[in-house]
Amino acid sequence: MKFNLCCKVLKSSLNRLSIRQLSSSIQNQNDLFNAELKRQQNAVGRIEKINVVYKGVPEDAELIMNKNLSTPYNCAQHLSEMLCNRSVLALVDGVKLWDMHRPLESDCEVQLLHFHDTDPYHCNRTFWRSCSIMLGSVLSRVFKEDVQVALHSFPSPTVKSGSFVYDVELSLPDWNPTPAELRVLSGEMVKLAYEEIPFERLSIGQDLAEELFQHNRHKLEQIPSIVQQSLDGKVIVYRIKDHIDISRGPMMSNTNHFGRCTIVSAHKIETDVGLLYRFQGVALPKAMQLNHFAYGIIEERAKKLNSGRLPTIQGEYQPAMTSREEIAAPV
Amino acid sequence: MANQAEVTKLVSRLKIPILAKHRRLRNPEGPQGRVKKIRAIVTALFKYERIEVYHYDGDEARGYAERLISDAIRHGDTHKETMEMADYWIEEKNLVHKLFKVLVPRFQNTSSSYTRMLNAPIPHATPEDSHPHFRSVIELRGNPFPPLIQSAVDNRLLIQNVLLEEAKKEYRAAKYAEIAQDLESRANEKSDASSETREDTAEDESQPK
Repeated sequence: MKFNLCCKVLKSSLNRLSIRQLSSSIQNQNDLFNAELKRQQNAVGRIEKINVVYKGVPEDAELIMNKNLSTPYNCAQHLSEMLCNRSVLALVDGVKLWDMHRPLESDCEVQLLHFHDTDPYHCNRTFWRSCSIMLGSVLSRVFKEDVQVALHSFPSPTVKSGSFVYDVELSLPDWNPTPAELRVLSGEMVKLAYEEIPFERLSIGQDLAEELFQHNRHKLEQIPSIVQQSLDGKVIVYRIKDHIDISRGPMMSNTNHFGRCTIVSAHKIETDVGLLYRFQGVALPKAMQLNHFAYGIIEERAKKLNSGRLPTIQGEYQPAMTSREEIAAPV
Repeated sequence: MANQAEVTKLVSRLKIPILAKHRRLRNPEGPQGRVKKIRAIVTALFKYERIEVYHYDGDEARGYAERLISDAIRHGDTHKETMEMADYWIEEKNLVHKLFKVLVPRFQNTSSSYTRMLNAPIPHATPEDSHPHFRSVIELRGNPFPPLIQSAVDNRLLIQNVLLEEAKKEYRAAKYAEIAQDLESRANEKSDASSETREDTAEDESQPK
């Protein structure tokens, strides 16, 4: 393949990546995640029923679901396949954004959001955030073994900035990605979308979080401040396939919402924590179609260094969410 | 001529395009069959508020329905001629009641036409029917059914449009900065040149002394 010749740093061809071996640390991380997930599911105990009122198309409905087990996605399964496929995010009681795969906790009213809503602000933001975490997942495994990769974080997503971002520490002092290497990254992102992987959400305690991220010093440093900021002293982690990352969420329901993607640049940024690479990309949901000329304009703009907050040492992982972000504005 | 009434004021001006000449709507029963068909369509339109018919029949009948509603609004239910017309063109008599009691209040203050006509999908030609007829959907405005045409969605908030809008803003800002710089450099050049000439003249003046 052509990629073999030009990718000095990345695992050469696109094909070889798919049959990669799980490294022991990733395996260990996943075991911990699975154990915690199982523990939480078992902790539900006796199954109680809750009344879920669905508002929206094709018609309003009232569903009786299982407390702490049923998710908005399960509600959608009762209603329509169309809803299962297109829903990105749920809006609980008209104020809380809720992941599609997060169990509902009490009687509530659910609305399902998608990219073609009249005001898709929250869907777009969620999409951008999910793109960042997917980029992190790709970056953590796409480099050759001799390159040390330590994911740092990503600033809170703003679609208007023109690109989604992940800040990463690489053991490469001076690396300028070639267009072919960027194309490999883009291809990996799209492959992740083809695999149709649901985003798994888990809320865990500080001890477990530190155990999960013991191999990543940046994340370890961030965990105490995250715990401090959160209301219940928990850390929220997400898993895509075998990649686990910290984010307050919410994330979109599945990687298959992801359509077209280009990773456009990796800027070197000097920060308090050392030299980081700011990977930037632009993507569109599968539901959106755009001609190549317009997409080219967006791509071109995304190459400029994103003005998102630079990582700092004492700086919190993500700025505390403003009310607009956590609570959906009534449309 | 001055004593003659203006014809345009005798009949209501309809808010839909009307052909200069009526359609004959070929029918085995002759002109009587044409009238029968139009009566059936007008009645169905008032009854169901949305119907699908052959395009030419429907377009012809639409004018009759519009005229009936328009006259009913203009003259009310005490006007003898209007009532006779309604009685003739509407086959089911309870619909005459509907015309004056339901449709007149509904359309009293509208500025657009009372009915709407949309093209129905053209069926695929089959061996049995190689010349499918054009069909149309006629509806009374303000009917209780779901809309046939989606209301225009404000799509500025879709993700690609947000991105494009921001790109546009950035491009414009860059262009304006460029223009401003250009103007500035030109102004500088001009002032440089003028100051030079001033110096020259000053020198010229000093030399003869």
